[in-house]
Amino acid sequence: MTGRVAISSEAEPDRFLPRAGLIRGWLDLYLTMFRIAILNNIHYRVANYFYMIGMVAEPVIYLVVWSTIARQHGGQVGGFTAGQFAAYYIVWTLVRQMNIIFTPYGWEERIRQGGLSAMLLQPLFPIHRDIADLAGWKLVTIVLWLPIAAVLTLLFSPELSVRPIDVAVFAIAIWGAYLVRTMLYWMLGMVSFWTTRVGPIFQLVFAAELLLSGRLVPLSLMPEWAQRLADLLPFKWTFGFPIEALVGHLTEGALLRGLAMQLVWIVIGTIGVRIVWHFAIRHYSAVNG
Amino acid sequence: MARREPLRALVLAGRFFRIGALNELQYRANFAMQLFQSAIALGTGLAVLALVFGQTTELNGWSQPELLIVMGVHILMGGVIATLIQPNMVRLMEDIRLGTLDFVLTKPDDAQVLVSVREIRIWQAVDWLVGAVVILFGVTQLPVSIGPGQAFAFGLAFVLGGLTIYCFWLILTVGAFWVVRMDQIVELFDGVYQSGRWPVTIYPGWLRVSLTFLVPIAFAVTVPAQALTGRLTPDTLALAAGFAVALLAFTRWWWRFGLRRYAGASA
Amino acid sequence: MSSPRTPGSQPAIHVAGLRKTFHVPVREAGLKAAFKSLVRRETREIRAVDDIGFEIGAGEIVGFLGPNGAGKTTTLKMLSGLLYPTSGEALVLGHVPSRREGAFLRRMTMVMGNRNQLQWDLPALDSFELIRAIYRLQPVDFRRTRDEFIEMLDLGELVNKPVRNLSLGERMKVEIVGALLHRPQVLFLDEPTLGLDVTMQKRIRTFIADYNRRYDATVLLTSHYMADVQALCRRVIVIHHGRILHDGELAELGVRFDATKTIGVTLKEGVADLSAYGDVISSDEGRVTLRVSRAAAPEVATRLLRDLQVADLTIEDPPIEDVIERVFASGHGEPGEEDAAANAAPSAVIEQR
Repeated sequence: MTGRVAISSEAEPDRFLPRAGLIRGWLDLYLTMFRIAILNNIHYRVANYFYMIGMVAEPVIYLVVWSTIARQHGGQVGGFTAGQFAAYYIVWTLVRQMNIIFTPYGWEERIRQGGLSAMLLQPLFPIHRDIADLAGWKLVTIVLWLPIAAVLTLLFSPELSVRPIDVAVFAIAIWGAYLVRTMLYWMLGMVSFWTTRVGPIFQLVFAAELLLSGRLVPLSLMPEWAQRLADLLPFKWTFGFPIEALVGHLTEGALLRGLAMQLVWIVIGTIGVRIVWHFAIRHYSAVNG
Repeated sequence: MARREPLRALVLAGRFFRIGALNELQYRANFAMQLFQSAIALGTGLAVLALVFGQTTELNGWSQPELLIVMGVHILMGGVIATLIQPNMVRLMEDIRLGTLDFVLTKPDDAQVLVSVREIRIWQAVDWLVGAVVILFGVTQLPVSIGPGQAFAFGLAFVLGGLTIYCFWLILTVGAFWVVRMDQIVELFDGVYQSGRWPVTIYPGWLRVSLTFLVPIAFAVTVPAQALTGRLTPDTLALAAGFAVALLAFTRWWWRFGLRRYAGASA
Repeated sequence: MSSPRTPGSQPAIHVAGLRKTFHVPVREAGLKAAFKSLVRRETREIRAVDDIGFEIGAGEIVGFLGPNGAGKTTTLKMLSGLLYPTSGEALVLGHVPSRREGAFLRRMTMVMGNRNQLQWDLPALDSFELIRAIYRLQPVDFRRTRDEFIEMLDLGELVNKPVRNLSLGERMKVEIVGALLHRPQVLFLDEPTLGLDVTMQKRIRTFIADYNRRYDATVLLTSHYMADVQALCRRVIVIHHGRILHDGELAELGVRFDATKTIGVTLKEGVADLSAYGDVISSDEGRVTLRVSRAAAPEVATRLLRDLQVADLTIEDPPIEDVIERVFASGHGEPGEEDAAANAAPSAVIEQR
């Protein structure tokens, strides 16, 4: 027993993977986290189903309202026929599922109940756990969604014609949307470090998102000024864009531009998260620990 | 006994209201939050209406002020549900789950009345105000003013609608308890309730029937709105009354049935 | 405690002048005070940790003792990087904990009683895999360590059952395994045996001692159970009101702080009132326990043997729990005046049949 340690960074023994295997290490980590998320969520599939069925109410209501208006106006409004509205809102249900992120309201509990401290003791930036956890969940819900989509298709007869590039861009865009929204709401949620009166702030952002993302109506039906505003904000790229990528017959330029905008917002979000996190942890470690 | 019960129910409700209100009034922060939340919901609702009326002048025969009235009734009824009905049902669910329903059963008053009136969330009553204001505004915009007969019909239809929703909730709570968790039912209901924002007549046949007799949104929102917009026929009102009475009777029976099962299970 | 350092090596844990001050808002009752607080927020300063310093070498197991609110948990949090010190310096394995460098986090672990890091609905084995991935452990080495720990704690099939199906003691065992899978060199254990039954406490204690021996790990441990401290720690640091009262061997604690000895007397027959000889702590079935001052102990013993028909007489140091209790109860806990005098006189331990 020496009583002294030799401090040298090269003294790190064989029990850790070498830095050379960094990519493989990340891949391994994400796959492991996916696996755990899937195992956890298969457990709760009944609850998941109830949740998903509940979600369907919202788009069905919008769908009926706009189809009614379309029929009253000789078959179409704003460039959409009833069948196209149906397509929009059925794809909506999948995009909605893919959009689900760690709720900003969850930070309150994470901070007060000590979950955050446990995360801080591990050598992993906590956002990875949230991303992987919910991504794993989505892999389960995508499967659960198929029968729901089938039923909705039978009931509302959507008109849909897709090209392979639409499908390809859509497949990427739904995950891009997920990442954009993750960054955004991580930043928002961290407000909880400084105050418990988060309700009004969150509600405002949610309301803005509802109106300016394409969740309520296809954005082309909104007034001009609203559409221009929506172009500047991240919300459109998390909801309206993925849906339109599949159903909207966008030009190839528009499709690629949309993906590029998602990338831009992911980068902005990543930087933003890093900055807010730095201040949040400084505040947390000064006071709570 | 059967004839005195409604009166007794009101007396009990009054007592619980006072206690609940005093309790809740301590939390002033809730008031501000609730006000803000209702304001946002109202703003969003108005934005949607504006969007719709940017594209058309009427929806399925309903004009703009008339749709405003529907929205107002929707908010008002939503406030009633959130203040008086849902809190009691959620508490009942907890009692069943934890086995503490016994405390209620040993009281001398009728158990169904007790579990239905003991809880109140007073801050949700902000929505009563908001809903009433929206209705009044819509009414002033109507081309034809409404008479006392219509107002009375509205009041009657509203009360019947409220009772119908109450029955629906109690049936669901007592029946679904063994199958699924309560917070999911609340979320599910909130989702389906949104359909009442629009007159139920716009929905395709099968959906309309479901929203009338399965989840009685039509009786809760559309029918009272019809009263204010001159659409309510005596037939519909009679149907609403009949349905409410039949449902109350069924609920009573269902409650007793569930209670026997509960007592059997916890013994 | 310190020996000459060879260049390029340092103690595992180094703390000097460490302080942590909290500012807590002061709010009085009454309307006037409420209005005042709108204008100006008054805060009170709480010195949770007030200028402490110590060094712990690799492989030491040190007990960290103190009543609730003494500053133990605050110190541990500062050493694990969760809390920023107000001033002073802390180095663990050469790292500044609050920087939370990856290299630091990989070589330490903190176990706090009520923290669950394992997945609730899944078997512990799945959670272990996650730990392997997070710490980027070599798979072969990891499996060997994991299996070794499973055997040391005799977990067997428990790791295959969902964690929520395990009892409290079993859950604590798998949590500890999870916390040590990355073979940290520094362990911060905050009440590791809290709420466990005696057998389980012993198991965990043995495990910690084994781990310490095998991997030369440094352990800083807080516990309310003296059995933990006595079994594992040769050295204890006593902290009270944010200051260190004692840093040294457990046995020394009694010597320094308790100027008393316990004399147990069994009479050949009958009972007698011995209150003239000292404070009677207990008296049952012919055995009387007296508390007397350390200096007077030999003299009292001699008198007892002379005056009475004694069948058995023992002179002992008071139990360590009592010492600690009295240290904290006294508030400041500075060694009393009497000790200075007592230490001047020789004391002899007399034991008779």
